[in-house]
Amino acid sequence: MTRRASPAKLNVRSEPAWLRVLLIAISVAFIVVMLVLPLISVFAEALAKGFAPYLATIIDSDALAAIRLTLLVAVIAVPLNLVFGLCAAWAVAKFDFRGKSLLITLIDLPFSVSPVISGLIYVLLFGARGWLGPVLDEYGIKIIFTATGLVLATIFVTFPFIARELIPLMLEQGSEEEEAAISLGAGGFQTFLRVTLPNVAWGLLYGVLLCNARAMGEFGAVSVVSGHIRGKTNTMPLHVEILYNEYDFVGAFAVASLLALLALVTLVCKSLLEWKFGDRLAAGAKH
Amino acid sequence: MSINLTGITKTFGSYQALRGVSLQIEKGQFLALLGPSGSGKTTLLRILAGLDFPDSGHLIFDGTDVQHISARDRRVGFVFQHYALFRHMTVAENIAFGLKVRPRGERPNKSVIADRVNELLRLVQLEQFGGRYPTQLSGGQRQRIALARALAIEPKVLLLDEPFGALDAKVRKDLRRWLRQLHDEMGLTSIFVTHDQEEALELADYVAVMSEGRIEQIGTPDQVYHNPATPFVFEFLGHANRLTCRIANGKAAIGDVEMTAQLPGDSKPGDGVAFVRPHDIALQPPGTSQALPSRIRYMFTAGPGVRVELERLDNGEILIADLAHEQVQKGGFEIGQPVAAQLTQITVFPAP
Repeated sequence: MTRRASPAKLNVRSEPAWLRVLLIAISVAFIVVMLVLPLISVFAEALAKGFAPYLATIIDSDALAAIRLTLLVAVIAVPLNLVFGLCAAWAVAKFDFRGKSLLITLIDLPFSVSPVISGLIYVLLFGARGWLGPVLDEYGIKIIFTATGLVLATIFVTFPFIARELIPLMLEQGSEEEEAAISLGAGGFQTFLRVTLPNVAWGLLYGVLLCNARAMGEFGAVSVVSGHIRGKTNTMPLHVEILYNEYDFVGAFAVASLLALLALVTLVCKSLLEWKFGDRLAAGAKH
Repeated sequence: MSINLTGITKTFGSYQALRGVSLQIEKGQFLALLGPSGSGKTTLLRILAGLDFPDSGHLIFDGTDVQHISARDRRVGFVFQHYALFRHMTVAENIAFGLKVRPRGERPNKSVIADRVNELLRLVQLEQFGGRYPTQLSGGQRQRIALARALAIEPKVLLLDEPFGALDAKVRKDLRRWLRQLHDEMGLTSIFVTHDQEEALELADYVAVMSEGRIEQIGTPDQVYHNPATPFVFEFLGHANRLTCRIANGKAAIGDVEMTAQLPGDSKPGDGVAFVRPHDIALQPPGTSQALPSRIRYMFTAGPGVRVELERLDNGEILIADLAHEQVQKGGFEIGQPVAAQLTQITVFPAP
């Protein structure tokens, strides 16, 4: 209103008030309908019959097994992808080599392929009738319908997260600081530990958080390789599906609420980090 | 430390950055590598530091071949164009870095490092800035911290890549003087890269002028400025008027006028290119002998002198002359007026 009164103060960026209100309203409404309501309903359903049944489904042995397996898969997949992501980002950002753009494209592949296909690839490769299945079978190695398969599928689906986070960051930073470190007498490992790693630490942490969230929540790929053996190869998302199909809504939503909580914790962690180190992050990016 | 380079070549893909560079620097000298971008000067500096490796040639520091000694062990202080300060470390941590990463046996203890950092902060006049981060400093301050960090390892030679390139004019001049003083006081051997001829001539003991991967000339600032060895050096070290001429009878004939000139060594008769600096042109009344008949096209008077644009009457070519304000007033020169341009100092090279 005050803006209307003094048109001289209007600049090219000042949209009319109704437009601003409309845009904000659309965004908020969308988020409420698509995100907040479902989230609330998850917790509401889970607690529909009170807290005791909620707790009972969670400490059920199959549910606990699913939670353990989910954590196990994440604990293996995330560190491996951390190492892979660092290697790939380093290679792309600091060296020039043939096939570099191909490598970048391939890193994105799991994002563009449906997770179900990713799972199927592993079945075709390692399954009893797959290419490598019979060979592995001779040595007594089983991949499909075991935790190993779940870990492999999860690694495949989540490997772009960390690399994707680091590549633009490292590209932008260039390698001058590393060169400076070397000319000051630092060795390769010292340079990595004291210069490269601290410079990408926050990007790396974001990548790990996102990778972890996806590793725990992945459904499609693990669903194909898991075989849904209760208490053995069921991760939390798979367990949710089974309970739901058995009309155990409280159970399904209770386990789902754990996953939702996990997502919320991840988000809170990310926001906290941003809030606490925002100045330093911005300073680092500007330099 | 004395440095001896012979026949250094370097190719990046199909691009030849250095085509056989030889150079000798004595201990305590301050050398400028001067050239336009793409002349290979930064590549040469990086080869000296061990950040790049030559395809062929020899690189000798104090009589020792250092070709296969890595950058890490060369004890060369390198100051990067954009400083390359470690962004997540404070100023003090930046300066201490070179000492902290030394192998356990050679590493000074904490209090020695702290003393050294303070000493260097004092040296670069930034004592109270030890706790700041690089982003909290101005460009000139960052530059000085980069220098302090390089000096912390007590380098045998200091290499600076466009050290003043990213600074504004005033800061640049102050820092220049300060750096020269520092070099003299610490008895350093320094090499710096620049594309600014004024900076090179003012700061260095010796200037190596580079073009297309070669050293065109190396000498004191006086030598390269007053006795340029090639047309490139002449044109690169300040403004120059370029005129075609004929060499005959030990003189240079420009248009129809024969003039005394500094001729190439053999002074064989033939076509030549004559160079004249703007301040080596005097304006005389029309008809003066041994001068080029011209007309004043423009005069730019806003500056320490007057820049006069002259049009030659014989072929319409433009000459630039720098005159003092008093000369213009005394001569009563005006735009459009016919004059005679007397070339007081002419340097002639054989036509390419």
